[in-house]
Amino acid sequence: MRNKLGTVSFLAVSFVAAALPLFAHHGNASYDTEKTVTVKGVVTDYIWANPHVFLKVDAKDDSGNTLHWMIEAQNIIAQSELGWTNVMFKPGDQVVIDVTPVRNGRPIGRFRGRIVINGQEFKPLPR
Amino acid sequence: MSKHLISTISTAALISVLAFLPALRGQTGPPTSVDDIKVDTWNSRPLHKPAYAGIKPATAPRRDLSGIWDATGDAAGGAAPGVQNTGAHEYPAVLPGNNNPPGGEPDESKIPRHLPYSSLGEATLKAHKPTGMGVRSVPAVLGNDPLNVCDPPGFPRMELYEFAILQIVQNADQVMLLNQFFRTWRTIWTDGRGLPKNPEPRFYGYSVGKWLDDYTFVVETVGLDERTWIDNAGRPHSSELRVEERFHRVDHDNMELTVTINDPKMYTEPWMALNKFPLRLQPRSFDIREMYCVPSETAQYNQDIGDPSVAPESK
Repeated sequence: MRNKLGTVSFLAVSFVAAALPLFAHHGNASYDTEKTVTVKGVVTDYIWANPHVFLKVDAKDDSGNTLHWMIEAQNIIAQSELGWTNVMFKPGDQVVIDVTPVRNGRPIGRFRGRIVINGQEFKPLPR
Repeated sequence: MSKHLISTISTAALISVLAFLPALRGQTGPPTSVDDIKVDTWNSRPLHKPAYAGIKPATAPRRDLSGIWDATGDAAGGAAPGVQNTGAHEYPAVLPGNNNPPGGEPDESKIPRHLPYSSLGEATLKAHKPTGMGVRSVPAVLGNDPLNVCDPPGFPRMELYEFAILQIVQNADQVMLLNQFFRTWRTIWTDGRGLPKNPEPRFYGYSVGKWLDDYTFVVETVGLDERTWIDNAGRPHSSELRVEERFHRVDHDNMELTVTINDPKMYTEPWMALNKFPLRLQPRSFDIREMYCVPSETAQYNQDIGDPSVAPESK
């Protein structure tokens, strides 16, 4: 167990320079931070809320089955700082989103950078 | 005669140019005061360095902390310094060289700066299961952070987690702190009263303040409820906690906040959670966005994301 934790820490160190979230209310424990999954699909709901803003997207997997993705961001203040608004997504939008997936294989992830809404790439405000 | 006319015209021309100079400067030059900078009228976003780089701040007013202050600071691409999601700014629960640890450590033995825990402090720390970004973090629904069910953050956590915008208002008897996170406020009495003896615990305690000099205001707080955590890493405190805040106004636009934790039951010596932490004055027109923890929204988050993200493997 100690060895396993050590390995995880080491991998995380080597990965930290890449696009990890700016910060998070909830930690990395349930996320596989070394993986990126690209979710392409249709927005079904957008929840502008605390402690986490999140987006629901219906996307097909490799076998053509529809997965109901839940993609979380941070809180409203943190997202506003990046230029997000409560009307940034609406049901029916076609989106392409890079996410950090959870470890257990369910269609749950965290925004990790690229967001394309109806063909337009979203550019966060500089900090 | 004509010479006189020319000189009159020249003088008039010079006066009109001079009269317009301030307006020209306002349009094209750098701002001379933070109040010259435009922010969003509603739900304002705090200013960052490029916006106020040209300002030479005036001298601070005497014995006056009033204004709208930003604690998010200049993140330089990382987390805003005021967020402190790995614990108090001076003692982050991170790994050496890694500010974004994976969590799951049994204790804080690997972190770069250790806190002087007593044995009770160490045991109480272990009973606290944080869910933020620190080394001991566990998945959201396996933790016991009081904030995860929207219990009050309390003091001093209001300055040691999600510390963003703080408005300070003063009158003859009080300094009021109005904090964005959880929309909380504190009264610091300046009417000469002493701290209470054996107070009934309160989430935000009991505070009295006095001016050490014209630019330094010192606050003592006692009577803090033991159910609150000191920071996002689960640092514990007892009801014997005594906190000193030192607000030092460096100039008109800049203030430094130092927060010292003194709890002889949990720590063998006092420690500084914030050390000259920078607060930056915002324009007078700054409108503070609300920031609540909403129990129903939290329940929805846990149902849709928190619980299923730690459920057994599925394919």
